[in-house]
Amino acid sequence: MDESRVAAYARAVAIVAGATAVCWLMFPVAELTDLVLVYLLGTVLIAASDGRGPSIFASLASVAAFDFFFVPPYLAFDVAHPRYLLTFAVMLIVALVISGLTVRIRRQAEAAEQRERRTAALYAMSRELAQGATVDDLIAIAARHLGEVFTADVTIFLPAAGDRLEPRRRGASTISDNELALAHAAFELRQATGLGTRTSPGAAATYLPLLGHRGVLGVVGIEPPGRRALEAPEPFRLLETLVNQTALALERARLAEEAQQARVGAETERLRNSLLTSVSHDLRTPLAAITGAATTMLEGGGRLDAGTRQELLEAIRDEAERLNRLVQNLLEMTRLESGALTLRRDWHPVEEVVGAALGRAAKRLASRRVTVTIPPDLPLVAIDDVLIEQVLVNLLDNAVKYAAPEGAIRLMATASERAVTVEVTNQGPTLPPGEEERVFEKFHRVVADGRQGAGLGLAICRGIVEAHGGRIWAQNLPEGGVAFLFTLPLAEASLAPLPADA
Amino acid sequence: MPDPAVVLIEDEPQIRRFLRATLTAEGYRLFEATTGAAGLIEVGSRQPDVVIVDLGLPDMDGLEVIRRIRAWTAVPIVVLSARGQERDKVTALDGGADDYVSKPFGAGELLARIRVALRHAAGVARADGEAFKVGGLEVDLLRRQVHVEGVEVRLTPIEYRLLSTLVRHAGKVVTHQQLLREVWGPTHTDQSHYARVYMAHLRHKLEAEPARPRYLLTEPGVGYRLTAE
Repeated sequence: MDESRVAAYARAVAIVAGATAVCWLMFPVAELTDLVLVYLLGTVLIAASDGRGPSIFASLASVAAFDFFFVPPYLAFDVAHPRYLLTFAVMLIVALVISGLTVRIRRQAEAAEQRERRTAALYAMSRELAQGATVDDLIAIAARHLGEVFTADVTIFLPAAGDRLEPRRRGASTISDNELALAHAAFELRQATGLGTRTSPGAAATYLPLLGHRGVLGVVGIEPPGRRALEAPEPFRLLETLVNQTALALERARLAEEAQQARVGAETERLRNSLLTSVSHDLRTPLAAITGAATTMLEGGGRLDAGTRQELLEAIRDEAERLNRLVQNLLEMTRLESGALTLRRDWHPVEEVVGAALGRAAKRLASRRVTVTIPPDLPLVAIDDVLIEQVLVNLLDNAVKYAAPEGAIRLMATASERAVTVEVTNQGPTLPPGEEERVFEKFHRVVADGRQGAGLGLAICRGIVEAHGGRIWAQNLPEGGVAFLFTLPLAEASLAPLPADA
Repeated sequence: MPDPAVVLIEDEPQIRRFLRATLTAEGYRLFEATTGAAGLIEVGSRQPDVVIVDLGLPDMDGLEVIRRIRAWTAVPIVVLSARGQERDKVTALDGGADDYVSKPFGAGELLARIRVALRHAAGVARADGEAFKVGGLEVDLLRRQVHVEGVEVRLTPIEYRLLSTLVRHAGKVVTHQQLLREVWGPTHTDQSHYARVYMAHLRHKLEAEPARPRYLLTEPGVGYRLTAE
């Protein structure tokens, strides 16, 4: 018998003794029936606080004490008159019935309270689990809640490569081979093992499988502070419920991950298809032109006049350059997408990068009117000059491609407190509504009108500008034409001052 | 004086075919090697006037080839490299190469680089007697005078040092490291924005349109080049 039960019986003895003392005081002035009521009150108190056993004991003790002290002959268990036997019987029955009812009410209250606690714990955990997105989040949430509710050390095992279980969320204690074997057993048998179960009840912790609809997702190991803490059915049921919740949340996360992967797969497939279509078309066109020009010269031989030969040779050169730009863009896009792009930032005057870009695009810009406006006091920007030059070249290419033949191309840079904005505008047709955003999408072309380009240039621009922490956008000009703008944030770090020069 | 000799170290047969046609048509004596090891032997035995090295060789890093050549000769080295490999170019240039062309390149571009390299190799012994002239720009290193379209331009000491460094390497690419070392000294080689800021000043003084320079060209990620022809 444990201490709490001993204490309960001791309390029962004390209350009966107390009732006897009260009766002793009342005895000279009260009826015997009043004394019976005092004893009944004591029994009810015991029933309400200590349960069935002590209350039965108190009932019997009350009848005995009543008989001993207050029923003639006094201070003896003998009964002088048989009618007292009836009094005893009624007193005992009433005491037992009252204590039985009281105990039942108390149990119901306790059960309700436990249900409340369980619901609260479940609710708290479910709510957090619903917010966790990744498996790691969910494991952390589950481990924390289980640890708090049971004041226990929680380890969560998930299957790793090669059918091995791996402790993913480790409690304070280290995991012995034996514990790991129990976790494996729970995983394979799909039932609880370890402390308090049929499999190896002597272990320090209990292992419960995380059962999903499609199989076991993992194992929760829980090591309570006392060996008996999980013995009662109520906490064990709560543990099972919480573990089930965790399993469901994990399964949901896993399904979401799979769906996401499927979506990404489908998207990749779609992109690959449009890449193939676009690239094979865009590669073939210049190749056809080159092949055609070269074979004409080979086979036409001396019949071609000098002007025609010159024209064919220029076509070969121009188409080869176009191919080169396309390959360059494809490479750049691949680098951007694979995350292999590392910015090599340094301080640059915008003017210098613009100059380099205009130099590289010079041949294509030769037939265009290009105006450049850059204030001389523009601050330096921390950029990767090779990449920003690429952005400018792509924007200039784009302007040449879509501008009206006589339309001017304008390049401007302005500075605000927080960023330098560079703007490339061309006169000509405007973008159809809704296209201002879409032009930056990969392989997107405003009109499939046979104009050259894989629809990569602007997507690359966006990738590079965003990698610099800037923003790029397009807007139609009221007078016709399109402006492409991008920002380059000005870093907060300041430059070392230049040494004196005089 | 015999025709200048060129050793070409390049493993791609198409590129060799194209360069063979171009270089022999220009009167160069061409010696080809398809590996770094064979190239080093060619350089040792032919005593060429110019070496052309592809950075992507099958047997040995092009940078290693440059280092080994530089260990015993100052022969001009022109590097063939792809765009997007600016870092390799800078390493090659700082490791002793004289210039580079990015694949794909036109014949004219490569021939210009070779001419500049030959001129510099020949000019090592020549005194900086005559003024440097290109377009309307005239730099007299002897009298420390700079003229643009016949008008004298006043430069600060650093601007002048920067310009004279570029003039000494006219036509050749000069990396930021080289510029910083020659203008500011070896302790400032990590402050590459110095060069950029003063280059901007120079452009505003020497160029008609600083954002579309004719003389002071930028090679993004690599350095600067003063137009020479």
